[in-house]
Amino acid sequence: MDTLSILLAGFISIVIVNNLVLTKFLGICPYLGVSGRIDMAFGMGMAVTFVVTLSGTLTWMIDHWILILPGLEVTRYVCFILVIAGAVQLVEMYLRKFFPSLYESFGIFLPLITTNCAILGLCLFINLWAIDNLLEAVVLSFGAGIGFTMAICIMAGIRENLNLADVPQCLKGAPITLITAGLLTLAFMGFAGMIR
Amino acid sequence: MSKITHFIQQSWLLIVAAFFFGLLIAVTNAAWQPRIIQNEENKLNNLMAGLITTAQKFEIAEKQIELTGEKGKIIKTDIYKALGADNKTLGFAFVASGPGFADKIKLVVAVNQNFENFFGFKVLASNETPGFGSKIKEEFFGNQFENAPAKKLILTKIGNEEQIDDQIVAISGATVSSEAVVKIINNFITQIKDKMQNKD
Amino acid sequence: MADETKAINPAFYKNTLLAGLWRENPVFRLLLGMCPTLAVTAALKPALTMSLSVIFVLICSNIVVSLMRNLLKPHLRILMFTLTIATFVTIADLFLKAFLPGMSETLGPYVPLIIVNCIIICRAEACASKNNLAISIIDALGMGAGFTLTLCVLASIREILSTGAIWEINIMPNAFVPSAAMSMPVGAFITLGLLLGLVNAVTAKKT
Repeated sequence: MDTLSILLAGFISIVIVNNLVLTKFLGICPYLGVSGRIDMAFGMGMAVTFVVTLSGTLTWMIDHWILILPGLEVTRYVCFILVIAGAVQLVEMYLRKFFPSLYESFGIFLPLITTNCAILGLCLFINLWAIDNLLEAVVLSFGAGIGFTMAICIMAGIRENLNLADVPQCLKGAPITLITAGLLTLAFMGFAGMIR
Repeated sequence: MSKITHFIQQSWLLIVAAFFFGLLIAVTNAAWQPRIIQNEENKLNNLMAGLITTAQKFEIAEKQIELTGEKGKIIKTDIYKALGADNKTLGFAFVASGPGFADKIKLVVAVNQNFENFFGFKVLASNETPGFGSKIKEEFFGNQFENAPAKKLILTKIGNEEQIDDQIVAISGATVSSEAVVKIINNFITQIKDKMQNKD
Repeated sequence: MADETKAINPAFYKNTLLAGLWRENPVFRLLLGMCPTLAVTAALKPALTMSLSVIFVLICSNIVVSLMRNLLKPHLRILMFTLTIATFVTIADLFLKAFLPGMSETLGPYVPLIIVNCIIICRAEACASKNNLAISIIDALGMGAGFTLTLCVLASIREILSTGAIWEINIMPNAFVPSAAMSMPVGAFITLGLLLGLVNAVTAKKT
């Protein structure tokens, strides 16, 4: 029961309290780029969730079972990014084979997930927070993906409505999105301290 | 055989580059790692020296003793002994850590040699809300711990912060951070006091 | 023939250098590298440290990629770029930990995030893998300068408004009440959004 409550607390904390996009500034680029429509946003969110869960788990395993060997710690960043690139490649191949229409609709965004700060950021945060069991790492990675999906879908919903609003010309596009994101972070700050 | 040659033909650059880069990183690491370790030790020593100002040097009294953290996890920390002129024990210092408002808080806490009073604490690492939680690093909060009794401290919202006793006045606007610091110190001092006094 | 190329080259170099600063400023016009921009610009010192690290990695990776540009196999090139960048970021991180430990702590996990900084990979892909060494270096310098400029402007605004000081030197009068919100994510997003809007307005008026 204790493990379950720790896992649940960790999950909620990373989805809401420590949301990667809105409190840790990760994953902003696709956040601005793909949040135009809700269906695209959701698709991107799901792809990111899959990749991040896979990479988070794999990098934790590599970090704890291989990089402990003396002298290898310094190659951490290189290992992590190679694992992430590999995971994205895997997802790409899988989608191309089994869901070709979905693959088409993603276009350029799928390989771009490799440079998504959120994924490398999450792997590094798991390392920083010294998570020491595998299950917790898996739950946190999955939660991070869910949090990202939630943030991007909220943003997409707001943006769809924003298209109908009267935004000044110079603020159209990225600027107003950023300002909206800022207000969203303000809202989410209310959750801070909820779970420690 | 042709598959392997084909593979090597495609990826020889990758393999060579990986080897070369690995070498580069290894060399840089070997060159700078001692400095990095030194930096970390210096930081800890500076903070401890700031707390126990009359100490000449610090030695490790207990290495890696195990304590139970606030969430039930086992935390390991070192206890340092502060030695003054003619090797008299002036006090003990240790790194205490625990969850804060935003992230983990790491503190350096110093007590006198009988575990009766605190010398005080300094923040080793924290990520609290700037302008509010970050005030745990300031004098209003820190000064209240100087010479406070080394037992479980109580956090209060209002009170006299100049009076040195076991009541600590919280920082207004940063109740959670203040409480976190008090909890961390309480948790560590009770267990360390127990272990060290049972030893002697 | 030789005279012609010599005449083109200096102007071309200057053009490339200036492009990174304004016309193709990576953050304001190309909208790349947002993550570190928002994260480290709470104060001027970390912003400057971060941008200098990015310049270092950008130059080194552009040099290496430009040197190997004729040897790259098409489907492995992103992997090569990533490997190169990761190596130089590791070196930069070790340097910061060894010589600027205070800054290394403040910047925290955002230094290794330079690896996924879109600016560096995009410049490697768009410029260094197609041009010779000299142009790649100049491009790196230009983009780096533009990035530095953006980060410093953003950081100065945020630092002055949130603590009344710049580079930890107090410059605002005592009557100024600092707004802590500026140093939090809210302030970051809103300031960047408004700055972007300003840049859009200025460039729109010109055309």
